Amino acid sequence: MLRFLVKRLLSAILVLLAVSVLSFLMFFALPRDPVTAMCPKNCDAQRLERVRQELGLSDPLYQQYVGYMKGIFVGRDLNSAQGGHCDAPCLGYSYVNSEPVTHTLTRVLPVTLSIVIPAAVLWFGLGVGLGMTSALRRGTLLDRLAIGFSLTGASLQLYFVGAVLLLVFSYTLHVVPVPHYTSILVDPLRWADGLVLAWVTLAFLFCAIYARLSRAQMVETLSEDFVRTARAKGLPRSTVYGRHALRAAITPLITIAGMDVGAALGGTVVTETTFGLQGLGRTAWDAVREGDLPTIMATVLIAAVFIVVANIVVDVLYAAIDPRVRLR
Amino acid sequence: MRLRTAAAGGAVLALALTLSACTKNTGQHDTAGNTRTSTGVIDTNPKDSLGPAAEVPDARKGGTFYVLKQAKISHLDPQRIYSFVGLMTAPLYSRSLTTWKDDGKGHLTLVGDLATTPGTDVNKDCKTWQFTIKDGLKFEDGTAITAKDIAYGIARSFDPDLTGGPTYLQEWLANTPQFDTAWHFTPKAAALPPGLTAPDDKTLRFEFKMPHCDLPFAASLPSSAPLEPDKDTGVNLDSQPLSSGPYRVTKNVPGVELDLERNQYWDPATDPVRHQYPDKFVFSFGPDRDAANNRMISDSGPDQSALAWDDVPSSLMARVVGDTNLHDQVLTSPTPSEARLSINVQRVTDLSVRQALNYAIDRSDLIKTLGGPTVASPVTTLMPPGTIGYQQYDAYPAGDTGDIAKAKQLLAGKTPELVLGSADDSVDLEIATQLKNNLEKAGFKITVKPIPEDSKLDETKEKNNPWDLYVDNWAADWPSGASILPPLFDGRKIQDSGNSDTSYVDDPAIDSEFDRVLALDPAKQGPEWAKLDQRIMKELAPAVPLYVDVRYELHGSKAGGLFIGSVFGYPAFTNAFVKA
Repeated sequence: MLRFLVKRLLSAILVLLAVSVLSFLMFFALPRDPVTAMCPKNCDAQRLERVRQELGLSDPLYQQYVGYMKGIFVGRDLNSAQGGHCDAPCLGYSYVNSEPVTHTLTRVLPVTLSIVIPAAVLWFGLGVGLGMTSALRRGTLLDRLAIGFSLTGASLQLYFVGAVLLLVFSYTLHVVPVPHYTSILVDPLRWADGLVLAWVTLAFLFCAIYARLSRAQMVETLSEDFVRTARAKGLPRSTVYGRHALRAAITPLITIAGMDVGAALGGTVVTETTFGLQGLGRTAWDAVREGDLPTIMATVLIAAVFIVVANIVVDVLYAAIDPRVRLR
Repeated sequence: MRLRTAAAGGAVLALALTLSACTKNTGQHDTAGNTRTSTGVIDTNPKDSLGPAAEVPDARKGGTFYVLKQAKISHLDPQRIYSFVGLMTAPLYSRSLTTWKDDGKGHLTLVGDLATTPGTDVNKDCKTWQFTIKDGLKFEDGTAITAKDIAYGIARSFDPDLTGGPTYLQEWLANTPQFDTAWHFTPKAAALPPGLTAPDDKTLRFEFKMPHCDLPFAASLPSSAPLEPDKDTGVNLDSQPLSSGPYRVTKNVPGVELDLERNQYWDPATDPVRHQYPDKFVFSFGPDRDAANNRMISDSGPDQSALAWDDVPSSLMARVVGDTNLHDQVLTSPTPSEARLSINVQRVTDLSVRQALNYAIDRSDLIKTLGGPTVASPVTTLMPPGTIGYQQYDAYPAGDTGDIAKAKQLLAGKTPELVLGSADDSVDLEIATQLKNNLEKAGFKITVKPIPEDSKLDETKEKNNPWDLYVDNWAADWPSGASILPPLFDGRKIQDSGNSDTSYVDDPAIDSEFDRVLALDPAKQGPEWAKLDQRIMKELAPAVPLYVDVRYELHGSKAGGLFIGSVFGYPAFTNAFVKA
């Protein structure tokens, strides 16, 4: 187990390094000059050149990269236009936001976490529950309803469902307030009531996939020999389904859930835009639109971290859930 | 649809802006009146620079006024403000040397804000200007505002770290566009740039090497806001500016929320334009245009006292225009932001061809393409209506839909092949296609060449660009012909790149007229600019004036006192209040 973790962590670090190098190169391949973000108006060539010198943008690429990476681990000194010293983890300074990128991230990350984690619990629970139930009640009305429901969800788009729910429940019926973000530490009730629409929308769309997948998995598992053996031994149905079949059926779902949550944490651009919430996804999108390179770079890195971490968690969960899996 | 450009314009386009008025009714409900022509002057009577500002009818104190906007305000530091939303919000927490008294109906006068008058031209040569600072002015910390604090504010705009703001004062003082190398700013120090002095706490003097008669106008921008040297936090002032106005920043979560609450040290007796009606202003960033305007239509809870800053999107326009219940919530007015079809006179050298373009243009169809009268309003002049001294004229009268026969007659059988450069986004390409179809009816052969949206502005500003025609926008920083015609048509300013004279007009006779008018008392320049506008169009026809943007916004049923500011064409908050 320990050996596995060390191995996975090492490879994760390699992946992240590769991502950092790639995104850093992208920084320079983009058709945007970072200097123009500093000086959007009334800037002539001479002035731009001075700004470029001052920001160290004429230094060799590797030198800039080393400076950037050093900033993440031990902090670095930026010039006065970038607010002076920048504490670790320093991800650079955004001229568009007029603040260190780390400040932006610490503000928007909780928003994305607050949207994704409860929504994921909801979509996973609901999806797997629906899927299992319909697998066990195959061919019944309940099964058909569940399949229909999940088909509907799987074929709809978030920006559509979100807009309809907003229009009906928020703008017209006024049952839920217009989506907003309040920290859970400040007021858990307001936190929940500002995000509930986003959770429900995400859960409805995602649970569809999980319901269909878990139904298929369960149906397949139920026809396996070990299930027949367990039944033949005379175990109660609940033990057969709950302990034997479910554990086997759920492992592939965990993989998918891990990927989904990782990707969602990396940026729920559409969700955040639909509900007007300023999370990581919106921030990344704004940064791309405004050519805010330090912020783009940071969001890319964070998204990569989430996906890598989610994958490690999934692998560990595998071992915990499925006794056949041994981590080496 | 066109509003996208207007919204982006403030922060990104390399243009300054101008004032507007209007020539045409802009929809069902026109809160601004339908003929809005500026009668603006500089008011040198000190009495008119005093407060308190006249009470707004039915206004009451109290409540929270909300503003919903998708994107954050790029800068709050007065020396760095240049976006429209920044320029409209700044007056709440920041005062400048001069300011505009604006009734939202075109009555526009420049008065002193921190200064007792809009400045004295000491030797009548526009080179030496003196301002006397009012008594009773205080920062939010209770400290008195002196001439030295205003001088310090101007000095810090020389700091190369503090980019983004206008550069008029710096360039005029340093007498070079490279002002930040001409004089080095030291934070918190008492040193002032060359030509700027504060001999005592009540006197501020500008001494320029060249005449700058527009100084009273330039001093109305937030970049002349005061700052105590000890309170200068450099780039961090952007998140927490020091207030000199009726409100102060009490909470600022960039990109999410900005709260402004009453500043107890602001004295209404010193202020000719501002009020302090709501207890609080809350700017809420994030909701997109559709969401924000849907909330205005829904009109419930706190949204009743809110303004959706971003214009009504085309998806909701029909519904808003058609719903009579919503008409009291509509805020609409033409703006000073004008679009023209620039003709590159280096390439289109034949005057009759340029005149034929002017006759052929079908503004009515163009405006339909843009989304109708709630989005744009036609113009035939180079200066937008509402510029001081504006006179309506049409050098090439061809009606709303153009005079194809007249254009053909001028072309006399020729079929000029012209290249129309257009930004490659969908809206601009739609306009380009409309123009192509329109102009080809008169016999022109138009080739539309898409230019990547990001680089279109830079490329058309290059002297040797390969296009004959392109649509340009201009919005001036103050409503004077001086900030419109010389930047757009002075041939002596043409460089290899970065040109505002994108028609590349280079006519010595016109240039000497510019010099003559610029040397006049700014209060007397108005009619001269109007004459020159007409002369340029008649003699040179370097562009086809197309339209001005129309603002069309929604607010909640309890949001009162709003009007579209005449100078920048965006909602003004100085009179805002929350209805009971």
